[in-house]
Amino acid sequence: MTAMPIALYIEQIVNGLVAGSMYALVGGGIALIYGTMRVLNMAHGEFYMMGGYAAFYLVGRAVPPVLAIPLVAGLLFLVGAAVQRLTVHYLLRQDGWLFACIAATLGLSIAFQNLALIVFGEDYKTVPYYVEGILRLGDIRLPLQRVLMLLVAVGTLLAMGFLLKKTRFGWALRATSQDSDAASVCGIPVSRVHMITFGLSAALGGVAGAMLAPIYSVSPWMGLPVLFKGFVVVVLGGLGSFPGAIVGGLLLGIVEALGVQITSAEWRDVFGFALMIVVVWARPWGLFGKAP
Amino acid sequence: MLEIRGLDVAYGDYQVLWDVSIDVAAGEIVAILGPNGSGKSTVLKAIIGLCRARSGTIRFEGNDLARLAVHDRAGIGIAMVMERRRLFPAMTVRENVLLGAYPAAVRHDAEARLGWVEGLFPILRERGAQPAGRLSGGEQQMVAIARGLMAKPRLLLMDEPYLGLAPKVVLQINDIIRRINAEGIAVVFNEQNVNLSFALAHRGYLLESGRLMLGGTGQEMLHSDVVRRVYLGE
Repeated sequence: MTAMPIALYIEQIVNGLVAGSMYALVGGGIALIYGTMRVLNMAHGEFYMMGGYAAFYLVGRAVPPVLAIPLVAGLLFLVGAAVQRLTVHYLLRQDGWLFACIAATLGLSIAFQNLALIVFGEDYKTVPYYVEGILRLGDIRLPLQRVLMLLVAVGTLLAMGFLLKKTRFGWALRATSQDSDAASVCGIPVSRVHMITFGLSAALGGVAGAMLAPIYSVSPWMGLPVLFKGFVVVVLGGLGSFPGAIVGGLLLGIVEALGVQITSAEWRDVFGFALMIVVVWARPWGLFGKAP
Repeated sequence: MLEIRGLDVAYGDYQVLWDVSIDVAAGEIVAILGPNGSGKSTVLKAIIGLCRARSGTIRFEGNDLARLAVHDRAGIGIAMVMERRRLFPAMTVRENVLLGAYPAAVRHDAEARLGWVEGLFPILRERGAQPAGRLSGGEQQMVAIARGLMAKPRLLLMDEPYLGLAPKVVLQINDIIRRINAEGIAVVFNEQNVNLSFALAHRGYLLESGRLMLGGTGQEMLHSDVVRRVYLGE
């Protein structure tokens, strides 16, 4: 282990960053919904799964990835918005909405998995790399696919950050998440903000699914492990904090990659959850959350 | 401009308001008085739509408000300064104030109104870039009023505007409300303290246990036996 070349570590850190950027996309989506509606979306993994299938069919029909990725995002936005409007929207108005939303989204998760099983079949679908080739920087080798993943994630998250910070809708979303009654008194249509937020969250998950589809294969069950990763990320970053989810995602990716490097692949989740336990032990409200 | 008739409001099985009727004319300052738990806040919440009327009507400039969602009421000239300010603590003072002009109907001339509002509250310029959660209670109340004014209201509702404020700040707030009112904006606020209220209000209504006991001018109410009985239990 001591003789391990430094380049290998750098390569692992970069790989960790790539994986972490995907965690950030997934966790960012969960954080967005939790932060705005206090709803823990148990069906978030299925948005990711749908993104994977959407990418498989689009790329399979020779749609160039440059076009396919935005299409997946747009499609999942519509799916997410529709899911919110048809389910969570009604539950939020009732007593006991907290548990009702968890139960409903858990039900949706199971329903979507089985729907995918019926529609797409149980075989694992493989998606070709969006870009071939390897980037070489000295001793460091990096498949261009992973470089692309990082770029897409950074671009998507920057766009999201811009939306939240600089646009009128972003202000409305942040206001709604801080105090929804006060937001509605200001004239902000809170239910519409909730619906759009769900759509944006699903789009983030869909993009992650589309970008990871060439690395892992696409199946009806691909969402569940990702949902758990997403929860870890959100707890790390502080429940409902979007910047926290990004930092949490990157941190998780890097810790996992380095952990795997010094042990072996089956220890990956041990490092992930150990990181979460340590952070929650030291800061129960997460890295970016507010102390009570 | 505001006409409430026979308003009943209940939270579940617990009825809070019984057959309340209140009128506010354009440009008036009206106080809603009553002891703790008499339903003062509920009247204001029903006007803005944060709680629903079980029966009765609320009309603003002739329009029945029942059909309008809370967020639509801001666009037609009603603004509310909520109890305990309810600013967006993680957003800057400036963002909070500008959010007041969110409704499409008042968006176009928001910049001009911002100038006026900043004239009323110099603190907005001085601390515009700070998170609203860091300000003191009095400062937050100023920001909350400024946010309400950005919606270009003809009727400004203020839920417990003096709550938790130092006496000096209360005087400042009164001064501000008079200046707002001088622009022709009607103000309805609620408060327990009768003397404090009539330092400002033209007229008042007295609520007890959700029922309207009395309405009248400051002179009438300050000398009323009903007021004395409700407050002192004589």
